[in-house]
Amino acid sequence: MTPQTKTTTSDLFHLFDLAVFEQLSDGYFQSLGSMPLWMPVLAWKKEGIADLADRFPFLESFMPACDEVWETRASEQVYSDVWTDTDRLDREIYLQAVAATSGGRRFVALRSLPREAYAHQQSAHDLELAQNQIRRLNHELELKRLEAEKANQAKTDFLNTMSHEIRTPMNAIIGMADVLSLTPLTPEQQKFVEIFQRNGVSLLNLINDILDLSKVESGHVELETTDFDLFDVIARAMEVVDARVKAKGLWLRQSIAAGVPRYLIGDPNRLRQVIINLLGNSIKFTEQGGLEVSVEPDPENREPGRLRFAITDTGIGIPEDKLGVIFESFTQADSSTTRKYGGTGLGLNISKQLVELMGGRIWPESKLGVGSTFFFTARFKMQEDQSARGETKTAQPAHATGTELEALLAGFHILLVDDSEDNRTLILRYLGRCRCVIDVAENGLAGVELFKAGTYDAVLMDVEMPVMDGYQAVGEIRRIEGETGASATPVLALTAHAFTDMIVKGRKAGFTDVLTKPIRRVTLLESLAKFGPAKSGIAPPPAASNRVRIEDGMEDVVPGYLEKRRSDVALYRQSLEAGDFDSVAKLAHKMKGTGAGYGFPKLTELGSALEEAAHNSDAAAVKSNLDEFAGYVQSIELEFPA
Amino acid sequence: MLKKKICLLGSYGVGKTSLVARFVHSMFADKYHTTVGVKIDKKVLDVEGQELTLMLWDMAGEEDGAPVKLNQVKDTSGYLLVADGTRGKTVDIARSIQQRIESEFGPRPFLLLVNKADLKETWDVPEATWSSLASAGWTVLETSAKSGQHVEEAFVTLSSRILKAQADDSADEDDD
Repeated sequence: MTPQTKTTTSDLFHLFDLAVFEQLSDGYFQSLGSMPLWMPVLAWKKEGIADLADRFPFLESFMPACDEVWETRASEQVYSDVWTDTDRLDREIYLQAVAATSGGRRFVALRSLPREAYAHQQSAHDLELAQNQIRRLNHELELKRLEAEKANQAKTDFLNTMSHEIRTPMNAIIGMADVLSLTPLTPEQQKFVEIFQRNGVSLLNLINDILDLSKVESGHVELETTDFDLFDVIARAMEVVDARVKAKGLWLRQSIAAGVPRYLIGDPNRLRQVIINLLGNSIKFTEQGGLEVSVEPDPENREPGRLRFAITDTGIGIPEDKLGVIFESFTQADSSTTRKYGGTGLGLNISKQLVELMGGRIWPESKLGVGSTFFFTARFKMQEDQSARGETKTAQPAHATGTELEALLAGFHILLVDDSEDNRTLILRYLGRCRCVIDVAENGLAGVELFKAGTYDAVLMDVEMPVMDGYQAVGEIRRIEGETGASATPVLALTAHAFTDMIVKGRKAGFTDVLTKPIRRVTLLESLAKFGPAKSGIAPPPAASNRVRIEDGMEDVVPGYLEKRRSDVALYRQSLEAGDFDSVAKLAHKMKGTGAGYGFPKLTELGSALEEAAHNSDAAAVKSNLDEFAGYVQSIELEFPA
Repeated sequence: MLKKKICLLGSYGVGKTSLVARFVHSMFADKYHTTVGVKIDKKVLDVEGQELTLMLWDMAGEEDGAPVKLNQVKDTSGYLLVADGTRGKTVDIARSIQQRIESEFGPRPFLLLVNKADLKETWDVPEATWSSLASAGWTVLETSAKSGQHVEEAFVTLSSRILKAQADDSADEDDD
């Protein structure tokens, strides 16, 4: 056993390289033990060291913390930050102080950090700095991303709005051209109207293409994943272009190879869009011969569900050096093509992007003067059950003629809710020959009020309206039906928003179907014809009908007049609620003066009563007259002169 | 002998340590060293015939999550705010430090040094910042610890302001 030597406290301090001081009651510092080698020369007096901070200025800022530990003993000890000082040879040293108290005595010790420890702290500090910088940069990046997202959203919103704003007047233009073409016209006028119709439709297609392309490019297109019948998709695509093929005297056929699965899962609408685009393109450049749509399992990838489509034509062909550029926006093989053949070349670009979304690629093969083939591949999932099944049910009314459709709709009771007067006029005109009964409201709230009071076979509802929009209104209608236990009335949304998400949104909101403006007459009739007259069990009793015969020569103005009075109901109610009797009186006064002139003496009578009640500020009387007025205008069925 | 404490404050890496090294030791090192905690240097200066010992507190640079330790600034006679002309943001940080000090301890003499004047072609302090500094009445010196431009001048100017402030204070006391 080795003999133990005695180790003093002083030796220990020395061993650990510590300089330890005690502050005495007179404020002087006394050193405990010998000083380490790094300790600079200190100024001593016989009482001790007068001011430690004199030599270590840093301690000035640390002394208050020392005092706190010494006085309050809130904690056992407190450490200072590290500071850089100089040793007795004027070399840099790194010091740290610690203050502690024990038995009321006040100690402060200094220790020198080895250079490595300081360097370590520096590195740790630098690391933290770098982390902060990364955090800051990430934050900035995130802000930029949000900004970009916002800008992108703004673009989408802009497109949505533009789409809506363009489609609304287009609806009126194309629709009115349709209506005009049904009136007796000279052959020359008929030709003019056809030019209207044709160009209206081209313009609309162009707008659709631009919107579609922007959407695809901004990544806003998400493909649907739904069961579909491939053969049906091809047949429908061919159906769409059939008229144009026939008009040019071309033939159109299809060829489906053995082994092509019929029942797939994917996005049938987008697939059809690509086929129609390619067919449309081929028709444009083909003057004789014809076109073929063929599909086969992808010869380059035998995975089930991978297909290769080909649209072949006997057209003018594409020069080899232009094959690469035709898929770019606004590019055609020859810029003079636009003048000669029309179109913008957007369709091919959209097709390319859609095909890529479908996990495939698109490419052309062509021989000048012989024809072109556009190939594309796509990947679908296969439905489990590939056995043949019944035809889809929608086919039947689609082929009914206009006249047949009109007959189907006779006696229909329809509620039309739309804030645009032009659109109301258009729809009323469209349905003018159908002998259906149409009630009109100018906003969702008025629509819901009418719905409560009547029984309707179908509701046609604009989506964007003041006071209450279509989404809210259809929600209300569904709620009312839920309460009364009535079966769901078909409610068709009329929207100028062309985006497919509007359709999804519309269905979610409770619409039975969504019709995109401009709406063609036949489309509207077909959509309505799908729904038979209401067979609701516990529907509210229909208002007693008041048939009013329109005087000869007045048939153009009376329906509009009645429609305006019907929409007045909501205005009256609003004014009454607001206690605005002046407005009630004004409205009533007008009605008093005009009702009889349009063949409604009852309206003059009611107007007079309402005006008087409003002058007397008699809310109860206004309300009862108003209820009567609402019921009356509701119940009117117009009889047109033979 | 008169002794005054001066703090150097500003964002990290603006050149506080380099300015002190240039002023005290007439040295410049291109390599960057982070200052941990505080580095205290001493310099004796003759200001207007008066010998003055400056205690230069070179404080660790301010950064996100590590603001200036105000308790170490508390008893300073004046301070130099240092910014880096190549990083316009550091001027904003200097202004925010100044506001904190002033609201905590009241007005003290200070100057703003926009350092790295040797890299002036890459400075990115916006015009609006300059004009708002001017309208706030700040004294701004463009310095370079590398070339020594305006370094001595900065410390001397601050020192004489400190002395003047002191003289004003005692004059005020005499008035009482």
